[in-house]
Amino acid sequence: MTATKETLEREAKLNGVGVSRLRKEDARFIRGKGTYVDDIKLPGMLFGAIVRSPYAHARIKSIDKTKALAVPGVVAVLVADDLKPVKLDWMPTLGGDVQAVLAGEKVCFQLQEVAMVIARDRYSAADGADMVEVDYEELPAIVDPHKAMAADAPIIREDIAGKDEVGHGKRTHPNHIFTWEAGDKAGTDAVFASAAVTVREEILNPRVHPCPLETCGCVASFDKVTGQLTVYITSQAPHLVRTVVAMLSGIPESKIRIIGGDIGGGFGNKVPIYPGYVIAIVASIVTGVPIKWIESRIDNISTTGFARDYHGIGELAADKDGRIKALRFSALADHGAFNSHVSATKLPAGLFSICTGSYDIPMSYCRVDAVYTNKAPGGVAYRCSLRVTEAVYLIERMIDVLAQKLGLDKAEIRRRNFIKADKFPYTTSFGWTIDSGNYHAALDKVLKAVDYAGLRKEQAEKRTKGELMGIGVCTFTEIVGAGPTKVCDILGIGLFDSCDIRVNPTGSAIARLGTMSQGQGHATTYAQIIATELGLSSDEIQIEEGDTDKAPYGAGTWGSRSTPVGGAAAAMAARKIRAKAQKIAAHLLEVGEGDLEWEVDRYKVKGNPAQSKTMKEIAMAAHTSNLPPGMEQGLDATEYYDPPNLTYPFGAYVCVVDIDRLTGETKVRRFYALDDCGTRINPMIIEGQIHGGLTEAFAVAFGQAIPFDENGNHLGNSFMDYFLPTAVETPHWETDHTVTPSPHHPIGAKGVAESPHVGGIPCFSNAVVDAFAHLGVTHMDMPHTAFRVWQQCKALGIDTR
Amino acid sequence: MKVQIDKRYPLPCSPEIAWEFLQNIESVAGCMPGAKITERIDAGRYKGTVTTKVGPATMSFRGEVEMTEVDASARSLRLLGKGTDTTGSSGASMNLTARIEPAEAGLCTLVGVSELSMSGKAAAFGGRMMSTVGDQILKQFADNFAAQVSALQALRAAPAAPGGAANSAPAAAPAAAARQLNLLALAWTIFKDWLRGLFSKRAA
Repeated sequence: MTATKETLEREAKLNGVGVSRLRKEDARFIRGKGTYVDDIKLPGMLFGAIVRSPYAHARIKSIDKTKALAVPGVVAVLVADDLKPVKLDWMPTLGGDVQAVLAGEKVCFQLQEVAMVIARDRYSAADGADMVEVDYEELPAIVDPHKAMAADAPIIREDIAGKDEVGHGKRTHPNHIFTWEAGDKAGTDAVFASAAVTVREEILNPRVHPCPLETCGCVASFDKVTGQLTVYITSQAPHLVRTVVAMLSGIPESKIRIIGGDIGGGFGNKVPIYPGYVIAIVASIVTGVPIKWIESRIDNISTTGFARDYHGIGELAADKDGRIKALRFSALADHGAFNSHVSATKLPAGLFSICTGSYDIPMSYCRVDAVYTNKAPGGVAYRCSLRVTEAVYLIERMIDVLAQKLGLDKAEIRRRNFIKADKFPYTTSFGWTIDSGNYHAALDKVLKAVDYAGLRKEQAEKRTKGELMGIGVCTFTEIVGAGPTKVCDILGIGLFDSCDIRVNPTGSAIARLGTMSQGQGHATTYAQIIATELGLSSDEIQIEEGDTDKAPYGAGTWGSRSTPVGGAAAAMAARKIRAKAQKIAAHLLEVGEGDLEWEVDRYKVKGNPAQSKTMKEIAMAAHTSNLPPGMEQGLDATEYYDPPNLTYPFGAYVCVVDIDRLTGETKVRRFYALDDCGTRINPMIIEGQIHGGLTEAFAVAFGQAIPFDENGNHLGNSFMDYFLPTAVETPHWETDHTVTPSPHHPIGAKGVAESPHVGGIPCFSNAVVDAFAHLGVTHMDMPHTAFRVWQQCKALGIDTR
Repeated sequence: MKVQIDKRYPLPCSPEIAWEFLQNIESVAGCMPGAKITERIDAGRYKGTVTTKVGPATMSFRGEVEMTEVDASARSLRLLGKGTDTTGSSGASMNLTARIEPAEAGLCTLVGVSELSMSGKAAAFGGRMMSTVGDQILKQFADNFAAQVSALQALRAAPAAPGGAANSAPAAAPAAAARQLNLLALAWTIFKDWLRGLFSKRAA
């Protein structure tokens, strides 16, 4: 098909794939017309407030509700004993463990849920929560995961002390969760033993929290007459919530309706199922009245899905030219008091084994040991496809460490180790098949754009004057789009996703998907995919997600899986519709199907372009009697898409920092991010995702951390302490791209939202460490706050004039 | 969060008078700004409350105090205190060893070695202010304590009153006046300490 002016005009009208069209959802958001869970107000609704433990580890001796029940407006106080008769004092987690809904005998982390006060309004509920008297006996707390498996360590989880496994293989200590290994240990050890060069570094990914603007919450409403349970909830995976609620409550899944509504940011914080939801649901089932529970900021940062707390050790073996021969990574993972972090059944350490990165590493081995501590449960949130941030941080830091050891340039060592463009699909030594990539081209484009050689020259000059300037390079490969059902499942449910499209007689359409937008712009990008596939304008394609009564089943939005899995389902469902449309067009035009060809928005007869039927015309015909013999009316299709592989977006980033050696203050002078996410559906939305991801990477690298004292007190759970960058602190971002489509995705798209976070964090760290590289520094742990960087300056004796 | 506080306060009385006063928990508590013994459980155990302002939050703790290891020959005793704040959002515990040491000129010194442990909101928000606040509270405590023992000393020195009943109860009235923590003065001292900390060289 040759593009003529006329077809280009028709194509432009579709506002389809590749167009930076404005986001369809923003009209309501910028007018304040979004409907978030706290906007839901139901008749007779009561409010729940949670009573939480001030101790990280304590035995509960008694709970006295008397004074709380006397508070005006308080209706009920629920404690573990009240949940026992319905067997809901404990619940299964998405990590194969169980978690206390309300602590009965013991609290295992600070601010753990102990009781819920139900009252007529939010204020009475809060007042009532203050009046619940809990008598605790404080126990010694484990804060440092390195001490969790000591012989004399206090046992955190008495409920499973006797079990030799909690879902992921044999346990060797009551505070041990699992040990997971991948790769070839013996082979790797052998390469290390005879390698020309080896490097080793201890690298921490500190505990951080994604801190979405909207905290978690729900409104549970049980109708005692119909037996129907409706839950409005901040969930990134409403269908999984429905299945878990059915398993927990015994209510038939067909009578449970989960509604996601608008969500103010998730970043993985809204995947797990939290005790607050469960208690609200139980309270509504018991009372028959709607119950609302909304988390406070402090509760959100302290108790719901955090990220990382991975204490890594990276080792690389290489030849004298810097070609990596083997990789050996290990990590001690602090999962907190319950293993509630979302993980595929077979992948307890998530996708950590993507840690060979963009490099052709022939031999590798990795091992992760997960332990319980007296901290809040979680671990895999924050714009991270299940431990990919940790993996990428390790390899991207370690390759710099190796470069410094060999005196090689940090861009050059990457070039020497890249998987070459002609080797794709490339299977890593851990067994992942990276479908596509073009790493050399991406890096070269970035180095040219920033004048890398010029920057290195400037750095050398500054060093002679005693000034600190750092250049960070990061060339990451992500693994997203979980995932093939044969590799990934949660609670036995495969991680496919779905799309159901219905085309109306007048040629508009509605599509419903199993994913769940939290601000990513799905209403826009999915409509663009369908617009291009069907030849209908994206303006007239309505997208709905998150209402389990309407949308087909899917695993939700997390791990950058929406475009790779949900987007693929949308394209495939649209193709089913187009196939039916072709039959109808052939019937209407009285030609064979094979005589037709598709052109932008219509089928036309080959060699006779005047003879054509637009999709709009076909949509109307599909609702008449004028159809091919035996064909049903309607123009609908549903697709359940099980991806054949994950997708592997990649990027090349360069960051330039200037550090004041007297104050330790770091200024990000320049940040250049090139991303390759395959086919670009909406470049404006991609850019927005990259800006957001880089800003969150900046936050992690330069300020976010959750410190605990030795008693397990959370010392950073409010905005007084927790760093959330605003426009004032955030650097300027420059973005760029290359396009290497995924060969197995219907439209070649790969997902993008996590790349800038995963790639950004090591790039910042690499820049900061690079500023000190000439002084022999090989690694500095995050966050690179002025105080911590100044401590490095002081240790080197360069902190004074 | 744990804080170790070791203090020495010279007292204007004899060691015997100070030791006598120290063993009376109600009176000692009366010297602590914001503290009150509400109930005596048995010989060595009491229930009490402490109301204090740490940073932006006013906290009211209730709990138990136990007096153990009373060693008359060394004039030393140990106080174990434990409590939660009335909203259940913070916990605190204290392990204090107090001792009376003889000093020059027949006077003595009160020596306190204590470890204070905080949990919950008190640690998260009050932690950064705790040692400064603690210092101020203890300063007021020591002043009150000194005033009380010198009153007791004066009472003992005076001719025995008829009936002798007053002898057994150390004067509690002056303590009541001092019981309220002077918040404005406290805030000012904390501010000054903070400023001083800001400009003094930080040991990293």
